[in-house]
Amino acid sequence: MDTRSSVRKDSSFFKKGDKTLNKKQKGLNIQAKQQRAGWYFLAPATILIAIMSFWPMIQAFIMSLKTGSSANMQWSEPIFYNYTRMFSDKLFMRSIGNTFLYLAVEVPIMLILAILLAQMLNNKDLKLKGLFRTCVFLPCATSLVSYALIFKSLFATQGLMNSILVHLGILESNFNFLGTAASAKAIIIIALIWRWTGYNMVFYLAGLQNIEYSVYEAAKIDGANGWKTFWHITVPLLKPTIVMTFIMSINGTLQLFDESVNLTKGGPANSTITMSHYVYNNSFGDSTTNFGYAAAMSFLIFVLVAILAAINLKVGDTRD
Amino acid sequence: MKKKILAVLLASAMVVSLAACGGSGSSDSSDGSTAAPVTSDDENTLTVYAWDKNFNIPALEAAAADYKENVNKDFNLEVIEQSQSTDVENAITLAGSAGDYSTLPDIVLFQDHWAHKYITDYPDAFQSMDDVDVNWDDFSQEKLSYSMIDGEHFGLPVDNGTVIFAYRTDLLQEAGYSIDDVTGCTWDKFIEVGEAVYAKTGKYLLSMDGDGNDLPYMMLQAEGESQFTDGKPTFAENEKFVQIIDKIEEMISKNVLYLANDWSAYTDQTITNDMVAGVMNGNWIIPTIEQVSENSGKWEITSIPTLEGGEGYASNGGSSLYITANCEKTDLAKDFLTYTFGGSSATYDKALTDGGVITTCISAGQSEVYNEGVEYFGGQPIYAKIVEMGANVPVIEQSDSHYGCRKQVAAAIINIKDGAKTADALKEAQEQVNFEMGN
Amino acid sequence: MTKKKNGSAIQRRLIPTYIFLVIVSFISVFPFYWMISAATNTSVDVARGKIWFGTYALENFKALTAANDLWGSLGNSFFYAIVQTLLCLFICSLAGFGFELYHDKGKDKLFSVLLLAMMVPQVATMIPLFKMISSMKLLNTVWAFILPAISTPFMIMMFRQNSRNFPIDIMEAARLDGLNEFQIFFRMYLPVMKSTYAAAAVITFMNAWNAYLWPKVVMGQKASQTMPMLIANIAAGYTIDYGVLMMGVLFCSIPTMLVFFILQKQFTEGITGAVK
Repeated sequence: MDTRSSVRKDSSFFKKGDKTLNKKQKGLNIQAKQQRAGWYFLAPATILIAIMSFWPMIQAFIMSLKTGSSANMQWSEPIFYNYTRMFSDKLFMRSIGNTFLYLAVEVPIMLILAILLAQMLNNKDLKLKGLFRTCVFLPCATSLVSYALIFKSLFATQGLMNSILVHLGILESNFNFLGTAASAKAIIIIALIWRWTGYNMVFYLAGLQNIEYSVYEAAKIDGANGWKTFWHITVPLLKPTIVMTFIMSINGTLQLFDESVNLTKGGPANSTITMSHYVYNNSFGDSTTNFGYAAAMSFLIFVLVAILAAINLKVGDTRD
Repeated sequence: MKKKILAVLLASAMVVSLAACGGSGSSDSSDGSTAAPVTSDDENTLTVYAWDKNFNIPALEAAAADYKENVNKDFNLEVIEQSQSTDVENAITLAGSAGDYSTLPDIVLFQDHWAHKYITDYPDAFQSMDDVDVNWDDFSQEKLSYSMIDGEHFGLPVDNGTVIFAYRTDLLQEAGYSIDDVTGCTWDKFIEVGEAVYAKTGKYLLSMDGDGNDLPYMMLQAEGESQFTDGKPTFAENEKFVQIIDKIEEMISKNVLYLANDWSAYTDQTITNDMVAGVMNGNWIIPTIEQVSENSGKWEITSIPTLEGGEGYASNGGSSLYITANCEKTDLAKDFLTYTFGGSSATYDKALTDGGVITTCISAGQSEVYNEGVEYFGGQPIYAKIVEMGANVPVIEQSDSHYGCRKQVAAAIINIKDGAKTADALKEAQEQVNFEMGN
Repeated sequence: MTKKKNGSAIQRRLIPTYIFLVIVSFISVFPFYWMISAATNTSVDVARGKIWFGTYALENFKALTAANDLWGSLGNSFFYAIVQTLLCLFICSLAGFGFELYHDKGKDKLFSVLLLAMMVPQVATMIPLFKMISSMKLLNTVWAFILPAISTPFMIMMFRQNSRNFPIDIMEAARLDGLNEFQIFFRMYLPVMKSTYAAAAVITFMNAWNAYLWPKVVMGQKASQTMPMLIANIAAGYTIDYGVLMMGVLFCSIPTMLVFFILQKQFTEGITGAVK
């Protein structure tokens, strides 16, 4: 009983270790039995992830060292040919540029907006909280395909946005939003913010609800204003949540696919294409079917996500 | 109580999952979740992938009815409908890369431009059609060049991709021209007419899909040239192609040509929304033109302009049927295809009336049905004309990278429109195509 | 009296907040309004950006059901999504339970390794996975749809985090009462973690319902197509009827919205436990 609760106390997200196991204890037998039961519990999930994620990843890596048509692949010469090749691929470089632009612009705006909304909705004096929360979360309920199509028709050259803007006198004549590079990028970013802000907000809202209200009361007595409280109390206490949402957003953005495919098809002139979309084009799309090269590029995406996530965890972990 | 229900649900889920693990080795679990087979056990039944229930599926059904009535009364063709042409293409790519053709039906229908790629990439995927009793000379040679590798036949043509140029004769007249003025004219003359039409009627004389880039390909084929030479892209050095791109840019800047964002904008915004006075594309675009019912009788078709003048002929799109390695009833499949799409007027006439599918088989194109006037096109017998034009399409070099190339050229056109130099943009596009091809 | 005054003063101070929230809510909801109004208009009206409701809803609906297997696709989507949700919840909660309540050095290490799988891009594994599913003869079956998605690091993490709130002491008490570890899971853990299950169910159901890329690869046959595939197909046609398309989009969106509305309260609670 004692040992179990002591184990509990030092549990944290990424545990360093478990000293209690090294000690000799009474009832080690029972303990061992329980630990073994633990392995049974996580076995199905672990085996599935191994088969459905890690094994294909290993195969993809092997594939990334090969070239040739998809039915008859040969070891490439030199062996890292596909990897060196991608750095002279202007289109791939462009897709990286686009993806990082989305990342740099969309993620901060979205997360700041999400925190602000969460902070507002956490105010206990606010009325109609449930209604606002539902409204803001609602976009997450649409499928990626649906919302891309909705945005596409909203921003079509003859579409609703154009007729509203022309009607209000903001635009002189209908503007081809999705056919112009800069505005097409902007619309992808707007669509992403629309779709995902509410999702992130729910996590912040949950995080805020875990902060005791008395902390705020104390701050108020100390004379801290709203902004100070937000910056010195809310943000530090939300840090783990912020790190988590950051990692999720980075992961999602670097793998961005549906929006690029369904909203703009990567166009005009490849100005909105994302990395995943380009990889897909190299496996199934109109381009040459080149699985080896596609696999090599997707490995780069994997490495980029892992590096950014690691940086995030490091930065987020400074408090300890 | 609720807890119990939840527990029961979860427990049953676990049981199902365990059953799945046990059953995955043997594929014959009978819980209704297994896939319907893509081939049939019945010896008189063939299966086929096709994708357009308004176009090629009626053609296949016409062929099946023809064969059933005249050859084998037990015959049955099961059309496994796919949602779009890319679904068939992905199915072949996936089956080919997995080396497992059992996921394919007996016969597949796919777009001609993929044929060389699939047959060379997956040499075991398709059965040779060399030994069938078809009069190949009766077909458009350009069409056959897609489904032939080193003189060996692998497919049988279904539809016809011959390019038509359809004009609104009333609008031409309003601008002071007739369809004869734009038949066999130069592109410069065309631009002159286009400017007049836009000034008088506010309509563009032509539109193109800015994402897919059909137009330069068709214009170049009308000149008898290809974007490829000996398997490599050479369009950036091809003087005629550079001229064509310049003409396209000129047309855009002079409001003769409208550049639509993508395919659906091309069909919906420009054609069915009545924005254009002319449409140039594969003849399968006709049903789209016909959607605007109030313009019935105002259209006519002709050949396409060329750089130096003279009637130009090209082909874009179209598909053929291929027998897969998974087909065990090869004799039946070959006999069926030979009898029907090999030249049966009964099949082709019904395919035309039911699905608007036009043949590339020259003799089948001379039937009564083909020579009837079409009201929408002012009583012009357009089908016979299309078959006739199809025989004139020059055979040019095809490439595995046809679509990849088109995509890059499309990007180049947009970049030039936005200020890039023609030579630079084309060179960059060519480099990218070379890169994708691994050259 | 003073309290009331105080209250209205607070409300007054909150006016900017209300304005901001109303604007955000409007932007969030407007595309839904557009979707619903477009579903009642003709294709031409939708393409020309007509903002008001039309009278064409029934025609659009008829056209949608005539040209597409709407009920079949809805049925498929429900079937796949429900099976995936049940299995995913079961497998991931088992794992989360195991990782947190029986944790030791080895299991913690394993967990960090599993987290790596979260970063594996879907496009990378698609082709090897397809080969695997194809060789298992599972194409076009529910298994092809769900197998890669029923054990996800994110869900395991969520259950693991939430399990910290599980009162550990009662486990000991239960063991003394003679319950084995599996009985503890089914009889004690399951009921206590209700809100976590609800949150996980909402997320998994939505993911399964909205999945597009992978199902497109393995569910090639028309008979096994899902709602997102159905609307993507309408959108990919040679000519698109936008009214019909939006009617399809509407049908694709209703179930996920309903699930969210029904489980909203538990969803929020469940997420709250996860970020503690």
